[in-house]
Amino acid sequence: MLEIRSARKVFYKGQADEKVALDGLNLSLATGEFGVVIGSNGAGKSSMLNAISGALVLDSGQIVINGDDVTATPVHKRAMRLARVFQDPMRGTAASMTVAENMLLAELRSNKRTLRRGLNATRLSTYKERLSLLGLGLENRLDTRVELLSGGQRQSLSLIMAVGGQPELLLLDEHTAALDPRTADIVMQATIRAVEALKLTTLMVTHNMQHAVDFGHKVIMLDAGRVRLEIDGKDKVQTTVPDLIGHFSVKTDRMFLAS
Amino acid sequence: MDILQNTFASFVSLVPVTLAQSLILAFVVLGIMIPFRMLSFPDLTSEGAFPLGGCVCGVLMAAGMSPLAAIAIALLAGFVAGCCTAFIHLRFRIHTLLAGILMMTMLYSINLRIMGRSNLSVFGAPTVFDWAPGLQPGFPASKIVVAGLIALVVFFLLYHFFRTEKGTAVRAVGANPDMAEAQGINVWLATIGGVGLAGAFSAAGGALMVQSQGFADVNMGLGILINGLAALMIGEAIVGKQSVLRQLAAPFVGAIVYYQLVSFCLAAGMPPPDLKLATGLFVLAMLALPSLKRSRGPAPARETVRE
Repeated sequence: MLEIRSARKVFYKGQADEKVALDGLNLSLATGEFGVVIGSNGAGKSSMLNAISGALVLDSGQIVINGDDVTATPVHKRAMRLARVFQDPMRGTAASMTVAENMLLAELRSNKRTLRRGLNATRLSTYKERLSLLGLGLENRLDTRVELLSGGQRQSLSLIMAVGGQPELLLLDEHTAALDPRTADIVMQATIRAVEALKLTTLMVTHNMQHAVDFGHKVIMLDAGRVRLEIDGKDKVQTTVPDLIGHFSVKTDRMFLAS
Repeated sequence: MDILQNTFASFVSLVPVTLAQSLILAFVVLGIMIPFRMLSFPDLTSEGAFPLGGCVCGVLMAAGMSPLAAIAIALLAGFVAGCCTAFIHLRFRIHTLLAGILMMTMLYSINLRIMGRSNLSVFGAPTVFDWAPGLQPGFPASKIVVAGLIALVVFFLLYHFFRTEKGTAVRAVGANPDMAEAQGINVWLATIGGVGLAGAFSAAGGALMVQSQGFADVNMGLGILINGLAALMIGEAIVGKQSVLRQLAAPFVGAIVYYQLVSFCLAAGMPPPDLKLATGLFVLAMLALPSLKRSRGPAPARETVRE
């Protein structure tokens, strides 16, 4: 379970270009729930994910994962509980290391690292099996450096790495936005399969309204650092793309009137 | 013909001495390679850690300590120096190169303080090279055997370490620090430990050098960095750097080949003052080579390092 309690973050505080990124944001996601986050640029989506992962330190407020307050926990310790797939395929993998070594790093995310040999035969065959589920042929390229893979392959690898250790929370940060439509589809299908099979508590940020309609139990729309709209349950099922876009345009009109 | 023969003869006569020297300096090259390649942390500490190891070892030997204990304490001093450089970079967000320059400058004064004067003779004191079985102490052969054995042990230990779970994590910090952190790796710990380890190797090289040459000098580190870099570049050109094994072998192979090359140049009549210019030009050429090769193609990927 994830809970964000009145999170507040102000950038450039006291300066002319002061920007309120998170303005008393409250959000909760039940265990096993799949939330889709939408919102225009600058609405606070990335700040929210960064605050959850620990990369962003809040001015005030709390982040609670499965009942434990992790607000003061550094990024590398939070990583034991949560996994994240970034928009940029380069960020989620170690380019100069091999596919197998990247898988090993992900496997050890929530374990203690020892002085035993990292890549042993058992592990290699497990990785082969897990990568073959993607159907991209990555299982035959375990010794290939990740920098030689295409963006789609890298992103698929990031996804497999993220869902591997059954994290308590999975964060997807526009993870298909940088991919071509066909690859984006493959990665998205793989995401849904993994999330459903493992019943992962998931928070996905997307600009793709079709994805927001098709996937997840709940749509959360952010605006100016707070939750503007939450659609779940039956309402979510009936929501269409034009509905969602409608919420965007209402907001733009208001902004237009206010200015 | 005569000149050629003379050059060759004097080069050959110097081969064993140079080999002994290069095996000792291979530790410094290792101390340059680990931060640079494994951690993407270009580090200049070795220019200060090498004489630090030498000075600490010299003072302790002069005080009558056993040569092995003297090396161990020198190693520890180098480790602390490396840790300090990494800490300066991480805590104050100072560029790695500047952090290294600060550290090596401060170490110069510290080295002078440790010795109390600019050089110290420890000639005649027992050294680790006396322990080579069946060989007369003080001759190149015993140095080659002892330094070579230590190098072998260090090489295999490091090779094992960098393939363990912890070692893979350390390499991940060099490959992509953000990703490493997101995978639960403590970037601070890995960087401080790794750069510290490198400082320890540089200092160990200094300590062995002092035992080999019989004196310690605060200026013994002058130019060691550029020599080490040149050796590393040669090593990587010969054995490559695609795998952990190759990357670890490069400092040793490079040191051996580089110092033989230097010895050959000197035997051929190159004036010693020109050596640094030649070495610098060589390192420049090796670093520039990838971008020269690809001048027509797309913009080459720059060496990615942490800033």
